[in-house]
Amino acid sequence: MAQTTYGAGLTAGPVIEAKGLGVKFAVNRRRKRSLREMFIHGTKRDPNAEGDEFWPLRDVTFEIDRGECVGIVGKNGTGKSTLLKLIAGVLLPDEGEVHVHGKVAPLLELRAGFNDNLTGRENVYLVGSLHGMTEKQIDERFDEIIDFAEIKSKFVDTPVRHYSSGMKVRLGFALISQLEHPIMLVDEVLAVGDKAFKGKCYEAIDRMLANNRTMVLVSHNEKDLRRFCNRGLYVKDGGLALDTDIAAALAAYNDDTKAEIAEREKRDAERKKRAEEARKQKEQGRDGTGGGQTA
Amino acid sequence: MASRALAVWEHRKVVGLLVRRDLKVKYQQSVLGYAWTMLEPLALTMVYFFVFGVILNAKRGMPEEAMAQGGFLLFLVAGILPWNTFGAIMSEAPRAMITHSKLITTMKVPREIFPTATVGTKFIEYLLTWPVLIVFVIFLGGRPSWEGVLIWLPLAIVLQFTFGLGLTLFLSAVNVLLRDVERLVRIVSRLLFYGSAILFPAALVLTSDAVPGWAKTLYQLNPLLGIFEMHRAVWFAGFEELTPTTLALSSSVVGSVLMLIIGYWTFRRLEMSVLKEL
Repeated sequence: MAQTTYGAGLTAGPVIEAKGLGVKFAVNRRRKRSLREMFIHGTKRDPNAEGDEFWPLRDVTFEIDRGECVGIVGKNGTGKSTLLKLIAGVLLPDEGEVHVHGKVAPLLELRAGFNDNLTGRENVYLVGSLHGMTEKQIDERFDEIIDFAEIKSKFVDTPVRHYSSGMKVRLGFALISQLEHPIMLVDEVLAVGDKAFKGKCYEAIDRMLANNRTMVLVSHNEKDLRRFCNRGLYVKDGGLALDTDIAAALAAYNDDTKAEIAEREKRDAERKKRAEEARKQKEQGRDGTGGGQTA
Repeated sequence: MASRALAVWEHRKVVGLLVRRDLKVKYQQSVLGYAWTMLEPLALTMVYFFVFGVILNAKRGMPEEAMAQGGFLLFLVAGILPWNTFGAIMSEAPRAMITHSKLITTMKVPREIFPTATVGTKFIEYLLTWPVLIVFVIFLGGRPSWEGVLIWLPLAIVLQFTFGLGLTLFLSAVNVLLRDVERLVRIVSRLLFYGSAILFPAALVLTSDAVPGWAKTLYQLNPLLGIFEMHRAVWFAGFEELTPTTLALSSSVVGSVLMLIIGYWTFRRLEMSVLKEL
């Protein structure tokens, strides 16, 4: 029942549909079970194994229409990136379905696919083609990509292993942002690069969005989220807590964060108080019994 | 299953890109890249020829008349070159998914293409061993026969790579979940090398009085035995001692097809867990 489908058709209606999406991981990495499940057809589950699984995401349902830019907010480890991977189709859901209509440009891991032993030029052709660009398209845009990535021409034919990590990420962004896929998935990549490059990234994304493309953005940077997104999904404890505009989602997230901080401060204060009391008691005890020793 | 096979076919361009990348990386490291990769099997062949052919006299399993057609040396080369490819498939199979983890976790493609690309690279490398083999054939006076070239050769190649693809699908998925597999494979690969009669004619085992009957049957059930006998039957067709027995032939065909089915089934079965682990 769990499935991921990709249609290429330009149909009306939502471009991304998620229905009751859930994914489960085995805690303490019990890989053996998956091997065993394979042979037992996974129907009868080991009753003792109940506590071993954990659902980073469960029962997530939403639809995203063409041209929308959706920001996903939430604490670390609540399943934001997992959700993005499910949409990208690189992780398969255990429950529910996700339908994506159109090709996806994944700005998830920008250095992905670069081979250290190949030159910058070879890597651009390799990764570009892997993502479905034709050789002619890459030929046409090659200079633009290199220019955008600010790679000096003498380094273009140097193996990528000699590049700095910044250069690799810039090249990756420059290349992926040339894809004309209607859906973009962006995971924190805006945090890379220096200030000047960030500015260019913003412009590139603005340009892409202007083309009525759909974007899903995972970020902790409120400014980025507010700048691009018109809708926010607030993911909390593995579920979709809120599906509203970005300001409301951020507000809810901030409220929760504040509440949590307050909670923690309260706990800390209590702990401190208890420790203080315990110390006082100890001191009093020592004062009472060991008075003679200190004299 | 058919739709997935079709999806792989639709992504054949990606497979081609990965194969080309691997070959490029391999051969660009040094100018003599190709020469180096050929040097190892050649050096091994010389060692084996000396130890097995000259000292241990394994060539006694060869019929007299075959000596004129290239003899034991051609027999060794014709077996070691394809075995070298197969050994390389086996040793790279467990890592076929792991080395591509970055790509797999960011790109939406049928995951089968990564093991397929690994086997594809090895296929090209196998084709590149042919010039060397042909040099040996010419120098040693080997005589290819119609039967060998039209039946044994295509059959050997198809079966070897069918088996190899099945094995790669199986090992690449299992190894993500159980990394011990990689170590195990190295041992098994050694065992198969001797179990597939690369260094001596299989007839030596099958006609030996010291080997009990059940062991002979077991020996012939190894699908690789038949496959490598076929590789050599290309040059020694017509010699009964050097062509696979009916049992060895059928276990090669059945075993290879079965391996592909098992490998593919396992791969699909474990796909979800593998994606989570990568």
